[in-house]
Amino acid sequence: MSVLHYDKHTNSFLLGVGANLYQLSDNRAKLLVKCGEVPETTEKEEPIKEGEKAPRAEGPAYITGVATCEGRVAVISNNKVVETFDRDFQRVASTVAIKRATSVQITDKTVVISDKAGDAYSYSTDLTDRKYLLGHVSVVMDMILTPDLNFLITCDRDEKIRISHFPNCYNIHSYLLGHQEYVLKILLLSPNLLLSVGGDQKLILWDLSTSQPVQTLPSPQEDYITISYSPPYILACNSRHVTVYKLTDTTLTQTSQLVTDHDIIDVASSDSRVALLTREPKLEIYQFSEGVMSGKCEVEGEIDLSQFKDSVLPEKKKVVRTAGFAEYFERKRKRIEEENLKEESKQAHINLQEKSKETHLKG
Amino acid sequence: MTKVKYPQKRNYRQRAHSNPLSDHSFDYPVSPDVMDWTKLYPRFKPENEVKFCDIGCGYGGLLVTLSPMFPETYMVGFEIRVKVSDYVNDRFLALRQDNEVYHNAGVIRTNAMKYLPNFFRKGQLEKMFILYPDPHFKKCKHKWRIVSEGLLAEYAYVLKVGGLVYTVSDVKEVHDWMVEHFTNFPLFERYDPPAEDKAAQVLIGSTEEGKKVLRNKGQSWTAIFKRVEDPYSKLRWDVDF
Repeated sequence: MSVLHYDKHTNSFLLGVGANLYQLSDNRAKLLVKCGEVPETTEKEEPIKEGEKAPRAEGPAYITGVATCEGRVAVISNNKVVETFDRDFQRVASTVAIKRATSVQITDKTVVISDKAGDAYSYSTDLTDRKYLLGHVSVVMDMILTPDLNFLITCDRDEKIRISHFPNCYNIHSYLLGHQEYVLKILLLSPNLLLSVGGDQKLILWDLSTSQPVQTLPSPQEDYITISYSPPYILACNSRHVTVYKLTDTTLTQTSQLVTDHDIIDVASSDSRVALLTREPKLEIYQFSEGVMSGKCEVEGEIDLSQFKDSVLPEKKKVVRTAGFAEYFERKRKRIEEENLKEESKQAHINLQEKSKETHLKG
Repeated sequence: MTKVKYPQKRNYRQRAHSNPLSDHSFDYPVSPDVMDWTKLYPRFKPENEVKFCDIGCGYGGLLVTLSPMFPETYMVGFEIRVKVSDYVNDRFLALRQDNEVYHNAGVIRTNAMKYLPNFFRKGQLEKMFILYPDPHFKKCKHKWRIVSEGLLAEYAYVLKVGGLVYTVSDVKEVHDWMVEHFTNFPLFERYDPPAEDKAAQVLIGSTEEGKKVLRNKGQSWTAIFKRVEDPYSKLRWDVDF
């Protein structure tokens, strides 16, 4: 889930609070539009399969993701609504996804979403022509469509980062394997470098040409919440820390660390600003220069943060069931022991019999 | 040393269906580079590679048949059920004791739907077997089926171009489902094996499931598919980073 987004096309931040989409320019917030409105069902939309019903919106409507391209903004909401707006924030198209979307990407030709069932779909710009792209076996936690539109990168709860060709996503290019828990967020730093953070509390920098990690950093404080990138700086957030790293070549070095008073929900960054949403709930804007955050100021304008709602995702950490296997192996061990004992006593009995036969013959 | 006994099925009974979507406790390597195959095959050398995989190998019937037929090839069965995979393990321990062969086959208790790329590199496998897969008849259980559009991408990834997938089922609906999915998938094509394909000949008679079908005078349907080049990349040169 990502509710804070830096829109490089307008040099402003977009923030979703509840169903409301806000724009932050300088330190002023402006309400743009209310999202998540359920579209009327149209005949244009094809149901998933013949005989199956078209997907229905369900659940409360609040924003769970935002993506931008030059002429459009895409928003995904908790109630399964996917919609696009033009730059005046007039709604251009909307549809209901099959399952709740977890990430969204938009270009001037397509909208791509990943969902909680682990699947990814592409839509035409008017959100009518839906195509199945790929499927993971667990929830897709984050997704990147590379700027050259040649690859779709998805990461899941089963520790995997998968790089598929695009739009022929059935053709998997490679996997980045190294995390030992769910992969929470990924960022493409350059055509050859990917950054990821996972539930194993690792931050990993990957070389995409070799599919190998080039650097692994441990978390300064428990679980990661999110990461953000403003070249050449990376901001990695735990619940109370924002650690800034500088990327030089293929190495990350820490430049600064900020401790917050409240738990962080999301972060977004530009060249000169960092927007931070905390659980107070509070929205703060920092100056950002040379990899250091400073000059915190509050956001002005009518913004009702109390409407903020957390996205509900299935349990991220694995709940391992051993289902009495220890019992089975214990029983097996005992059974084999008993069988061996029986064998031995049988053998001993035979030996005795033979011996007594011998003595009998002798005698 | 105490002789390893051949396992008896009655000691390894387990419910046929297992939920592949839930988190069982498995051992699996973080990546194929760190997988230690010598734990499975006593004679495995660094230059060796596992080439055949039986997905859902059950009680090991296919592997026991294939192992002496391809003595130079390393093959593995994936089985999600604890007791069943334990049975296969014990079966091979006993077989290896009595025979010079069977050192090239083994079983791993794991979830093939989730962890194939953890065990195998891209294009590593030459043959994959999906014999008598669980039908999971109910629509709500379709996502448990071992053949789906999403999973075919993973099978295509671990199989080399030109590699083969062998499928069998005694349930016509499942056979049709597999044929439909494989043939509609751009990276697979239906394949008619030549007479020399030894593996194709043992598909029905070698497994416990298959023998049961024969005993009950039921019918089995087979379908074999070949992994082909991506037709899409022929339109534009295969792009790399």
